Amino acid sequence: MDGQVARPPRRSFIYRELEAAGARFVAVGDAEVAAHYAGDDETQALSSLGIADLSPLPRTGFKGDGAVDWLAAQGIAIGEASNHAVRQADGALAAKLAPGEVLVLDGLGEGEAICARLDAAWTPVASAFWPVPRRDGAFWFLVTGEHAATMFAKVCGVDLRPDKFSNHAVAQTSVARTNAIVVRDDLGAVPAFHLLGDSASARYMWHCLADAAREFGGRPVGLEAVRSLIR
Amino acid sequence: MKIMNCPLNGPRNISEFVCGGEVEAMPAPGAADAAWADYVFLENNTAGVVREWWMHAPTSYWFIAERDTRSDEILRTYPASEVFAERQDFAT
Repeated sequence: MDGQVARPPRRSFIYRELEAAGARFVAVGDAEVAAHYAGDDETQALSSLGIADLSPLPRTGFKGDGAVDWLAAQGIAIGEASNHAVRQADGALAAKLAPGEVLVLDGLGEGEAICARLDAAWTPVASAFWPVPRRDGAFWFLVTGEHAATMFAKVCGVDLRPDKFSNHAVAQTSVARTNAIVVRDDLGAVPAFHLLGDSASARYMWHCLADAAREFGGRPVGLEAVRSLIR
Repeated sequence: MKIMNCPLNGPRNISEFVCGGEVEAMPAPGAADAAWADYVFLENNTAGVVREWWMHAPTSYWFIAERDTRSDEILRTYPASEVFAERQDFAT
């Protein structure tokens, strides 16, 4: 529309922290994501202990009676059991949090924008369930590498070791004393955990994880390194 | 750390839970003020096995636990739908 001011790209809740850590940003859809960091090779950190900020990327959720059936009608594959995630054909991940609640994370590759389609399809008139705007309400980090589970043991009471917490398992629990959702989603052979929590605690959590990761040589990793493992 | 078994999420540290008080039958909508005051404000404070509301805070999931108040032992936890099977509607 003429005269409309272009919207600035969606930035992370911790943009300034990422900037200070030497992040170089890249445009992904309507968002600006930390793609890589100045300095060493990030691929090594990814398989050892890396923390990526995916907060600007699309995600959504739906909650209430009928939410699961509606999502299934929209073509989303959802498992029977709660606290389990299912990979979608285009790379997205649908995590069933409860019998009436689902969290959807868009794929990190270049798949279909599932979350945008779902958000546009939901109408308040006929729905007894409602959207949970996770993109505004929750930060989204990805913790990767062989030391990830050991690091989580310092801040989280749930045993996330690979032989105890299977791929695509979900834990809704306390991480660093704040409420959080952990979803295991390995990148090929590299263990990886999505971590989502209240966006108001994003900066706090980023620093908690950086502190917990220090003894393992953990460091921030960018989206490009993460994508290199899922291609 | 004491562990409680959440019916939705499984065993978790007790620090993740909030107690919501005794499970009691709600008075009829037209009941006397004294009955409602009793229901809202007064606890039976039983020494023995009680049925209580508990919430798993990270998921805001409310469920029912049976607990022995003398030993603080949690005997059983289960979804509220085991007790409250029907929807309660009030005249507006």
